[in-house]
Amino acid sequence: MKIIPHFFGVRKMEIVKTENLTFEYIRRDENDNVEGITTAVDNVSIDVKQGEFIAILGHNGSGKSTLAKHLNAILFPTEGTVWVNGLDTKDLDNLWTVRNTAGMVFQNPDNQIIGQIVEEDVGFGPENMGVPTKEIWERVEESLKVVGMYEYRKSSPNRLSGGQKQRVSIAGVLAMHPKCIVLDEPTAMLDPIGRKEVIDAVRGLNDVEKITIILITHNMDEIVHADRVFVMDKGHIEMEGTPREIFSQVERLKELRLCVPQVTEIAYELKKRGLPIPAGILTIDELTEALKKCR
Amino acid sequence: MLRDITLGQYYPVDSAIHRLDPRVKLFGTMIFLISLFITDNFIGYIPAIAFLITVIALSKVPFKYMVKGMRAILFLLLFSVICNLFMARGDVVFSFWKLSITKQGIKTAGFMAIRLSFLVIGSSIMTLTTTPNHLTDGLEKGLSFMKIFKVPVHDIAMMMSIALRFIPILVEETDKIMKAQMARGADFESGNIVKKVKSLIPLLVPLFVSAFRRANDLAMAMEARGYRGGDGRTKMKPLKYHANDAAAYLVIFVYLGAIIAVRVIF
Repeated sequence: MKIIPHFFGVRKMEIVKTENLTFEYIRRDENDNVEGITTAVDNVSIDVKQGEFIAILGHNGSGKSTLAKHLNAILFPTEGTVWVNGLDTKDLDNLWTVRNTAGMVFQNPDNQIIGQIVEEDVGFGPENMGVPTKEIWERVEESLKVVGMYEYRKSSPNRLSGGQKQRVSIAGVLAMHPKCIVLDEPTAMLDPIGRKEVIDAVRGLNDVEKITIILITHNMDEIVHADRVFVMDKGHIEMEGTPREIFSQVERLKELRLCVPQVTEIAYELKKRGLPIPAGILTIDELTEALKKCR
Repeated sequence: MLRDITLGQYYPVDSAIHRLDPRVKLFGTMIFLISLFITDNFIGYIPAIAFLITVIALSKVPFKYMVKGMRAILFLLLFSVICNLFMARGDVVFSFWKLSITKQGIKTAGFMAIRLSFLVIGSSIMTLTTTPNHLTDGLEKGLSFMKIFKVPVHDIAMMMSIALRFIPILVEETDKIMKAQMARGADFESGNIVKKVKSLIPLLVPLFVSAFRRANDLAMAMEARGYRGGDGRTKMKPLKYHANDAAAYLVIFVYLGAIIAVRVIF
């Protein structure tokens, strides 16, 4: 009996994969002549495994949001290919499966809530998928409980805070039972409390529900918990690694117009001035430990 | 404060009328409105009054709320009554200068007054006892037969419910823009009407820009959540008829019968 080598069983399944993904925005004048081409995403190849927590970092205009919109088949690549759960997003037959597999949460909480009552909004996705009524209710209840918004299920979204609204949006995506959730700067419009609420909810999804998370952000504090970080600039992937690897390159990050978390910055400055502190300090506890050793 | 605005002035109490299926209420309102125009003598309004009083009593909505709606059409009401009073030709009852009031005129003016006020009260009962959400659901389901005539019923209902969802947001935004413009010296209050309308331009332009941006974002969010029109869509809160709805239909048909009977007999 011949034993066939079984690659896929050993390796974790790739949930999202892009190969040489390039996307160009074409500007046209009134007569439809091409005025200029902006390459928003340039030859990007990444792969994300099932269950990973990925952060994509970049300043404004680095192409990170454009990249995110490809993962949900809202935009289609000019060149290259995107696979979500093994399906090519360019193939229109896959469109709805792709959108149900990779859910998306956007920046502005007001502009993505459709329902007039929280529970109705969470039910919107399952309704579109044609889920039977009884199961919609089960999914809505379960999703609202996961993000801790169950007690607000009968409220009007207009009465909630920004962080609460964003958690409702996350529940709305969660109710579609996606394998992967892409969050496009979900905290950009929130206050610090709202930010923490949302990031805690997202971490919970990854830890407890084992959902793959792709978090797009320009806020450094949010990527500390990620498994892997991609740093984008001018449409390219400039850096890739664990948060610690990324944060140990403070100079490089500054070149890319990104600032590191306060504690990492202090550690870096201290190290530069001669204290024996390891590179890539991420938390206050780590810094205190390192400082204790210096004495 | 602005967040609390609800359209259609829904009056939240629990009553037999509130619990009815929105389709029943839509149908009932329609029948009631038609019945007002079937009737051509005053006896015909007796069943209409009886029907109206019963529904108002059952709805538990204070009568003064119904009358509030009348204020808006008071001018229209007076105008049409006065016109009818003087325009009709026939047996002169009273005349001065070139104007004369006739028997027929009084009769049509009376009809007009009753019809218009019943019309307003009848339709405000529906909006007072039905949430906007329920109303759009009812319209979608109740008018679904229009699909054979290629009327996009689902899409219209979806547009209505999105409009309702965004009204408070846009009102709040208007308020914000207004304050921002006032802080920079815009004057929305003084001047004649032309000047006032002109002063709204710096308010409306940013409002429209923002509304379009919101529409774009919302469309993307809806697509991302798999929205592709009404086909193959299930409902989280499907409309279902209950025993009381059947009873209500029966009452409506009895009422319609009574109105027709009165018209035929008298």
